[in-house]
Amino acid sequence: MADLAFTLNGQQQTLSIDEGTPLLWVLRDHLAMTGTKFGCGMGLCGACTVHLDGSPIRSCSYPAQYVSGRSITTIEGLAESDDALHPVQQAWLEMNVPQCGYCQSGQIMSAVALLANNSAPTDADIDSAMAGNICRCGTYPRIRKAIHRAAELKGAVSSAATVGVQHYDPAAVVLNTTHISDGEIV
Amino acid sequence: MAISRRAFLKSSAVVGGGLAIGFNLSGCARAQYPHYSAADLQPNAFLQVTPSGEVILQLHKSEMGQGVYTGMATMAAEELNMDPALITVQQAEFHPDFRDPEFYVMITGGSSSIKLNYVIVREAAATVAALLRAAAAEHFSLPESALNLKDGKAVHAGGEVGFAGLIEIARSLPSPKQVTLKSPQDFQYIGHYNKRLDALAKVTGKATFGIDLQYPDALTAVLLRCPQFGGKVQSFDASQALSKSGVKLVIEVDGAVAVLADTYWQARQAAATVKLVWGESPLAGINSDSLRAERHQLLVSEDGKNVEEKGERSAAIGERFDAVYDVPYLAHATMEPMNALAVATAEGIEVWTGNQSPDIALSEIADATGFKREQIRIHNQMLGGGFGRRIMSDYLVEAARIAQLSGRPVKLVWSREDDMRGDFYRPNSTVAMAATIANNEVSSLQAKVVAPSIIGGFVQFVTNSILPQWLPNGLHKKIGGLAADTDPAASEGLVHSDYEFPYMRTDYVMQKTSIPIGYWRSVGHSQNAFFMESFIDELANRTAQDPVMFRLAHLAKDSRRRKVLELAAAKANWGKPPAGQFQGVAVHESFSTVVAQIVNVSVSDFKIKVHKVVCAVECGMAINPDIVIMQMESGIVFGLTAALKGEITVVDGAVQQSNFHDYEILRMNESPEIEVYRVDTAAAPTGVGEPGVPPLAPALANAVFAATGQRLRQLPLRLA
Repeated sequence: MADLAFTLNGQQQTLSIDEGTPLLWVLRDHLAMTGTKFGCGMGLCGACTVHLDGSPIRSCSYPAQYVSGRSITTIEGLAESDDALHPVQQAWLEMNVPQCGYCQSGQIMSAVALLANNSAPTDADIDSAMAGNICRCGTYPRIRKAIHRAAELKGAVSSAATVGVQHYDPAAVVLNTTHISDGEIV
Repeated sequence: MAISRRAFLKSSAVVGGGLAIGFNLSGCARAQYPHYSAADLQPNAFLQVTPSGEVILQLHKSEMGQGVYTGMATMAAEELNMDPALITVQQAEFHPDFRDPEFYVMITGGSSSIKLNYVIVREAAATVAALLRAAAAEHFSLPESALNLKDGKAVHAGGEVGFAGLIEIARSLPSPKQVTLKSPQDFQYIGHYNKRLDALAKVTGKATFGIDLQYPDALTAVLLRCPQFGGKVQSFDASQALSKSGVKLVIEVDGAVAVLADTYWQARQAAATVKLVWGESPLAGINSDSLRAERHQLLVSEDGKNVEEKGERSAAIGERFDAVYDVPYLAHATMEPMNALAVATAEGIEVWTGNQSPDIALSEIADATGFKREQIRIHNQMLGGGFGRRIMSDYLVEAARIAQLSGRPVKLVWSREDDMRGDFYRPNSTVAMAATIANNEVSSLQAKVVAPSIIGGFVQFVTNSILPQWLPNGLHKKIGGLAADTDPAASEGLVHSDYEFPYMRTDYVMQKTSIPIGYWRSVGHSQNAFFMESFIDELANRTAQDPVMFRLAHLAKDSRRRKVLELAAAKANWGKPPAGQFQGVAVHESFSTVVAQIVNVSVSDFKIKVHKVVCAVECGMAINPDIVIMQMESGIVFGLTAALKGEITVVDGAVQQSNFHDYEILRMNESPEIEVYRVDTAAAPTGVGEPGVPPLAPALANAVFAATGQRLRQLPLRLA
């Protein structure tokens, strides 16, 4: 057993773990933070993506002892509060991205990291940054559009890290329907 | 994330000794609803209104991405005149009223949820609405015609009252014998509502999948299974594993070995140290290559069973043209690996998981554990992908047995490798397509299918519970079909074609040997559309006709496929692809929905690049137009993975692939531009979860033919 101390979503965590335990299982099994998902255990699918000091890592293959003294952000820590959304989450809603939703925590964490370094990514930038995240439901076309939309939203609220949506009301989200090629009556 | 308070209370009741609520399934008496609440207005199994005015919908279908959570709520909301977002959706436990009129079991599959419940759920909601309206009339002493329901209230010109204020009166009223459903021209939400009610939970990490459940003092189990299908453990040595940190128990469970520890990582690490001796597998020596060779042999040696015949054989005149097609086994590869949490006591078993057919699972768990169905409860969760994999009950049975044998609450978690190697695969299949052509006219079209039977796979591999007494007529009929060497899934998509040729025939030869197979998104259509629509393209080419024109010339005059095909062709600029690109087309009907796709590709250095897919769909009216589009996009990407990459191979009775490096899934950088267009009709809705998949492979293969002149008759597509 080894002691581990690190910052998780802004809060100090201290716990005792088996050496070699991947960060993913510290999050899920020790801390019951289940927003970060297990998909492959080999860093191949990206479902377990979290941020280590702001950079995306695959937590299923990252020994937790290496995050000692460092800062981890998970999907639960992206927005400022329970009632708020990060612009990337907001864009995901506007573009109706999730289907089964299982991979989306990882997708969103990868997208947030991309936008932190590149405020206006091209499609090629998105391909490159997002190729490590598998979505079996095939939401890729919408993820691409949502990242472009998040870049717009971030630009509009450049000073704030989050978009306030107090007491979230689904009726208040304006769906971006520019992608909907709808209602051909022939 | 803690399990919901409601679920926890129920499970506490089990731990305390005895299920809190028993079911009475005897006789024809209506069983009490598992979600029954004495104070609620609850005229049927689907909907209830609580004393606080909350409207709760029991979601009796599994949400696995296809959008049924939103779709069902939208249909109920329509009759209640309330924003769908105001309805509380709960995952239903099994109840006989949730059985389907078509499948006779409570199951989510066959793209049938919306189609089969378009009337059922609206009637259930209209019944609640009628009671509330009558109660409001009494409350206000007004005629019903003077008031309306709106967003959880009854309103009239001079005032309003929330549902909470109507519950007492409504509960005293008799349920209406008949209800009138809204006319489609009055729909406010159906056909207009485009949001997803499950999206917020899924972008914030708060959605609860089976794998996310926590239970007090539960251990995590990993199960070591024989790498060869059907093999059982002869002996094992767990002394090293038992000395590892966190490990509590190592036990044999029905031929496999379970390692139970405090955490998944501890269990997985310890499992690697267990020394195992496996007994002989009934499938030892089986290879996918030899199975394919056997199918090619069966094509010649067996006549098979005639499934469909139209016209007179004597009409098949002219030169004969044959082509043999093959497809491999495929894994479902849901993003969430199989898992289930089970708690067993002397009185019964409770299971929390994501599953598509809790009805069948109840029987299988009962069979495996010796408990009665009424002593077992299954609490369904969000499914991290289903695609047919979670129709199977194997992982629930495993968890239930581990919990029963260990006496501990246990969460069984499969690794990706377990998942890849322990699937129920899309069957491999070989088809000989044949046509006769006289004077440049096709005079016959014939298909001979050689494939294993999925329903036969059930019998062979899914415990011994296939014929329990409770099984209703529908399934008995299907199993009866087995005795006659037929399996509708093997030939679906080849039969009931809208193509008209003077003589048409389909025969089926059942291959008796297979690894476990199952229902894979679009089932038989997933391969049979590839065979049919590729061969149709071959015939267009041999008769020197444009592929779209050839199809239109041979589709029945009243075929729904015509409009869909024409729309796709118009939107894709058929015949005028961008420079350097080539187009392929396919149109197919599955699960009562018609989809046409046109794929633009380019080929260089033996690599196929997919630039764009234009899709047209006709599924009757759309409940949620954007979810229809999402499902087409989803089917296209799923189909691309299968067409370009998917292949499970078997050597000596064991699957060779293990994870996403050797069973690749299409990624963002390979994902093409996709456009989806709907042919809007006023017809009742049909399903969209599966029909987007079948046309993709043939449309792509046809585009590759246009680009290279190579006719690829095997999936995945590989250029020579």
